[in-house]
Amino acid sequence: MNTNRADCRALEDDVIAVATGEAIGDEGFRVHAHTATCDGCRAMLDRYRRIDMATWALRTTALPSMNGARERLDARLADLRSRALAYGIFPSPLGQLLIARSEQGVSLVEYLNGDADMAGSRLHRRGIEAREDAEAVTSLYRELMEFLEGRCTRLDWPLDMRLARSDFHRAVLQVTTGIPYGAVASYAGIACDVGKPAATRAVAQALRWNPLAIVVPCHRVIGTSGALVGYAGHHVDLKQRLLALEGVQAEPAGDQFRIRRNASYVHCPGDDSYCLPSCPSLTKMDHPHRLRFFGSRQRAEAAGLVPCDCCHPELHPITP
Amino acid sequence: MGQPPFESVVATHHGEIFRYLQRVTSRSSEADDLSQETFVRAFRAYGGLPPDSNVRAWLFTIATNLSRNHFRAERRRLRAHAAVGETRGEIDGAGPEGETLFREARTIVEAVVDRLPVKQRLAFLLRKVHDLDYDAVGQGLGCSAETARAHVFQALRKIRHGLNGHNVPARAEA
Repeated sequence: MNTNRADCRALEDDVIAVATGEAIGDEGFRVHAHTATCDGCRAMLDRYRRIDMATWALRTTALPSMNGARERLDARLADLRSRALAYGIFPSPLGQLLIARSEQGVSLVEYLNGDADMAGSRLHRRGIEAREDAEAVTSLYRELMEFLEGRCTRLDWPLDMRLARSDFHRAVLQVTTGIPYGAVASYAGIACDVGKPAATRAVAQALRWNPLAIVVPCHRVIGTSGALVGYAGHHVDLKQRLLALEGVQAEPAGDQFRIRRNASYVHCPGDDSYCLPSCPSLTKMDHPHRLRFFGSRQRAEAAGLVPCDCCHPELHPITP
Repeated sequence: MGQPPFESVVATHHGEIFRYLQRVTSRSSEADDLSQETFVRAFRAYGGLPPDSNVRAWLFTIATNLSRNHFRAERRRLRAHAAVGETRGEIDGAGPEGETLFREARTIVEAVVDRLPVKQRLAFLLRKVHDLDYDAVGQGLGCSAETARAHVFQALRKIRHGLNGHNVPARAEA
C-alpha cells in the first residue's frame, strides 16, 4: 500500500470506466498500474465489476406484463390516423376555398378571407391534426368546381362531421344536407325538422358555423320572410350567387336580397308532390315554416316530386 | 425511398420503449400512459423526421423527455431519494447462498436505481440497460455527452455506496 487516499479518489472514475466497459482511453493502463500496489482500489475494481454484472442482470429481470398496452396504442393510433386531415387551398369563383378530408370523408370546406389566409381556419382548432396535401383533395376540388359551374347538381360525398360542435349542430347539418338542389328552406323550418321548433336562432348559429360550406347547403336556408339573411360572415352576395346558380332568383329589396315566395313552387316535406303557392292543400299545414320553395318546376321534378293533383302547377305554371 | 411505415416503427420499438418506461417509473400504469404518449408524439412528428435518423434513439429521447416532465410534475422522486440510505438495512441478514445473494445484489441495484435523482436514473437506464451511446443519452436529457457520462458514473458510485457492506458474489452459483 504505497498510495494515498487522494490518488485513490482521483482514480475512481477510471476504475468505474474499466470495470463497467466505459473505458475510452488509457484508463486501463492507469488502473492496472495503480491496483497492482493498492489493495483498496483492487477491491473497489472488483466491486464495480460485480455491480456491472448485477446491472447486466437488470436487463433480464422479469417486468410486469405489458397487459394489452400494445393493443391500446394501436387503437389510439388508428383513431388518430382516421382523424388526421389532409387539406388543400384552391381558387374558386367564390374566392379561396380550403378543402380538407379525413379517411372517413370530407370534413371541411371553408371560405378563406383574403389570399389563402389560414389564420381564421378551423384547422387551427385544438386537437386537429392537419397536413397540407392538395393531391389528396384535388378530385374533390374538381367536382366542387363542376358544381359551381353548374355542370353537376349533386355532391354525394361521404361526410366526416366530427368538426360539428354538438349533437344539435350535427342534427342541423344532417337535415340541411337533405334540402334538394334548387330549393330553399327556412331557419324556423329546420328548427322544426330537428324537433326544436323554438330554436330558430340556434339553427342560424349552427349554420353560421357550418364546417362544410356548399356541400352541406346552408345557402339554401333563408328567413321565413324570404330574406336571405346572412352567409359566411358578411357574404350574402355569395349566397345569392349560389342560389342563382341553382335557379332560385333573389331580388334586391331594400338592403337585402329576398326570394319571392309567392312566385315559387312549394313543397311540403313528406309529400311527394309540389304545388302552386295558392294551392288550398297548403293551408292545412301545421308548420307553414317547414315549406320549401323551388325556383322552377324542373328543379322540383329533378328532386323526384310530381305536380299536385289539386292545383296542377304543370297546367298553370308561374309566369315571372 | 420513403420512410418505413409508422406501424413497423411501433412493431420494432414498442416493447423496448415500454420496458424502459416501466423501469423508469417502476409502475406499469404510468409506463402505459407514457409509452402511448411517446408513440403518439412520434406519430405526429414522424413525417418530418430526416430520412436517415436513428429512430430508436429518437424514440428514447421522446420517452425520456416525457418521463422528465412526468417526474417534474410529480416531484415524488425527490422525496423518495431522501430514503436511499434505508435500503441496506432492509436487505442485510438475508439468505447466504450464492444465487440468492446475487439476486439480492440485483434487487439492491434496482432499489438504488429506483431512488436516484431523475437525470442519473434516466442516464443510467438508457446507457446501462438499453445500451444507447452517450450522444443519444445526452440528447434525451438535454445535456452534453460528457455530462450524460458523468450522470451514469455518479449513478454507479451511488450503487456502490448502496451496496456497501453487502457481499456481492461474482455470479450466481448453480
